[in-house]
Amino acid sequence: MKNTITKKIAIGALIAAVYAVLTIAIAPLSYGVMQLRISEAMTVLPAFTPVAIPGLFVGCVISNLLSPVGIMDILLGSLASLIAAYGSHLLRHNKWLVPLPPVVVNAFIVGPMLYFYYGVDVSLIGCILWVGAGQAVVCYGLGLPLMKLLEKYRHLFD
Amino acid sequence: MSIQVRNLTHIYGKGQPDSQLALENINFDIYDEEIVGIIGHTGSGKSTLLQHLNGLLKPEEGTIVVGNDEITAPNFPMRNIRKKVGLVFQYPEYQLFEETVALDIAFGPKNLGMPEDEIWDRIKEVLEMVDLDYDEVADKSPFELSGGQKRRVAIAGVLAMKPQVLILDEPTAGLDPKAHKSILEMIQRVHEKEKNIIIFVSHNMEDIANLSDKVMVMDCGKLVMVGTPKEIFAQRDRLNQIGLNVPPAADLIYKLKDAGIPMADGVVSMEEAEEELYNYLRKK
Amino acid sequence: MIRDITLGQYYAAESVVHRVDPRVKIIATLLFIAELFIVDDFKGFILCGGAMALAVAASKVPLGFIMRGLKPILFILMFTFVLNIFMIDGHILVKLWFIKITKEGLLTAAFMAIRLILLIIGSSLLTFTTKPIILTDGIEKLLAPLKAFKVPTHEIAMMMSIALRFIPTLIEETDKIMKAQQARGADFESGNIMQRAKALIPILVPLFISAFQIAQDLAMAMEARCYRGGTGRTRMHAMKLMRRDYFVAIGLVLLLGLVILERIYL
Repeated sequence: MKNTITKKIAIGALIAAVYAVLTIAIAPLSYGVMQLRISEAMTVLPAFTPVAIPGLFVGCVISNLLSPVGIMDILLGSLASLIAAYGSHLLRHNKWLVPLPPVVVNAFIVGPMLYFYYGVDVSLIGCILWVGAGQAVVCYGLGLPLMKLLEKYRHLFD
Repeated sequence: MSIQVRNLTHIYGKGQPDSQLALENINFDIYDEEIVGIIGHTGSGKSTLLQHLNGLLKPEEGTIVVGNDEITAPNFPMRNIRKKVGLVFQYPEYQLFEETVALDIAFGPKNLGMPEDEIWDRIKEVLEMVDLDYDEVADKSPFELSGGQKRRVAIAGVLAMKPQVLILDEPTAGLDPKAHKSILEMIQRVHEKEKNIIIFVSHNMEDIANLSDKVMVMDCGKLVMVGTPKEIFAQRDRLNQIGLNVPPAADLIYKLKDAGIPMADGVVSMEEAEEELYNYLRKK
Repeated sequence: MIRDITLGQYYAAESVVHRVDPRVKIIATLLFIAELFIVDDFKGFILCGGAMALAVAASKVPLGFIMRGLKPILFILMFTFVLNIFMIDGHILVKLWFIKITKEGLLTAAFMAIRLILLIIGSSLLTFTTKPIILTDGIEKLLAPLKAFKVPTHEIAMMMSIALRFIPTLIEETDKIMKAQQARGADFESGNIMQRAKALIPILVPLFISAFQIAQDLAMAMEARCYRGGTGRTRMHAMKLMRRDYFVAIGLVLLLGLVILERIYL
């Protein structure tokens, strides 16, 4: 099938849906202070197709919409995902760098959000490190193996 | 090897405002080497019942005994159930995930702790049972196969665990007539070779009539009829009331009877119907 | 299992708040949050809290339901509260050994706590009273000006509505896959982090493949019905601002004004 806009929208939408399903399935660990999402392993997808950038963004928006979190999560969390996804796409030629943007971007956007908005009383650095660590475990620990698995199906994304 | 189910009751969504009785006081026995066909309209509880038989669901009340084990006992190890009872879901080809066919088939046995060399022999054995060529498919990715082939691989994956009870939920769903026929033949072949109990759910009454030793009819969570195919399909009106029909051959004979043409009772299979018609036309 | 999770936070009811235009509600929520950060004393909270109480009452969403929404942050709330009480220096009220509770500590703790509660309830009200699909419509309309900057707002909004539609389907699919693998002896509950992560592969791979297949079929179906993207597309129910929306907007501006005034003068 030709690579039409329709196909791109459909794939992006389903990436978003899978992300949301994986996030919801692990609720309540996925939200608030914990922010432990296995769905974050999907942040390696932008290395395979640029459609994953809006896809992950939408997935994040929906996961936050469907959950008991504040509108800040919806805004900032999703924005972080968007920036991170774009970064991963840019770094797609080096497999070790692909999971890096989600770790760093989320640490520096969601971390301060926890500190300033939610008023979590660990230091700012503490919040940043906490988010970063959680992301690193999932993005590298689950994301890298996922990337390896999906390599074989690369042709499906074109 | 036999199965006894007593007073099986399952409540779906317990404690919530919209809870309902998925299964109500089910009682039945299945004997050694029987092939049992289960029929019922959608939502009658067939899938729920199947999932109880292999421990995926636990009942609110009641017991299930498989062989010598009461699998509904609290803390009964799931592994032991899965060793005995294999469940093939509808459209099982969607569960394939491994890099090669062989690895995917090995998934089940590996989880059950089967020793490695035994696993590889078993893979060859089950591929043959499902009529696939080992040399041709074993190292291929499951996703390169056709739909029909994928289904066989999925079934092989369950067979590889050597279940003494094989349960299949609509094994012929979505298949073209040729594939449909060949899956049925495969089930019979498996039964002959493994000498196990086979339980299958189907909406195809002809398959039910041809394969089953015993037929169980479910309606709204209750087991309403149990008997041989002949006994069950002799009660067309009752089946119609529940929203079920009889095999096409039987249906034709009934319709002729309704129109006043004298036909024998208990016709169920295509061959019997053929015989009846032939006899009738000859006498005219 | 997974199926038991109620999707989304929408509470079905017939109320004015439910009927307000989603764009107005989104902006209202954002403004409200901004106001909560403008406020710098308890008096300001009375203002905001009062406005919110009005909104909650008008929404006909039961109080119990709203309180349940606070459960997830209960932990942060407690944590922050306790830390604030004990950590802030000032007038000592109680002293137990080396643990001291100060007046400032108590006040700060209370302030933060109240703000957090108001924040959560305020933003929850949005999702309680607006169906996800309506929300995405609102977001699409609000982001429309971005189209001038080549941002594909229509396509993104489309992705959102499609994703929402398929989430229940995929959840069911995931459930089926899990059961099928469990029937083959897979175990998702035991083992350490590494083992459990590995155990997810038999679920993730089929899930991805399934999702991909759905996307293919969907794209074909859409094209077969002449979908060509957002150009020239119309809608069946056009969003129109009604009188109640204007009232809410005016009320919002008033509240903002009052909050700012309160901060400056009181």
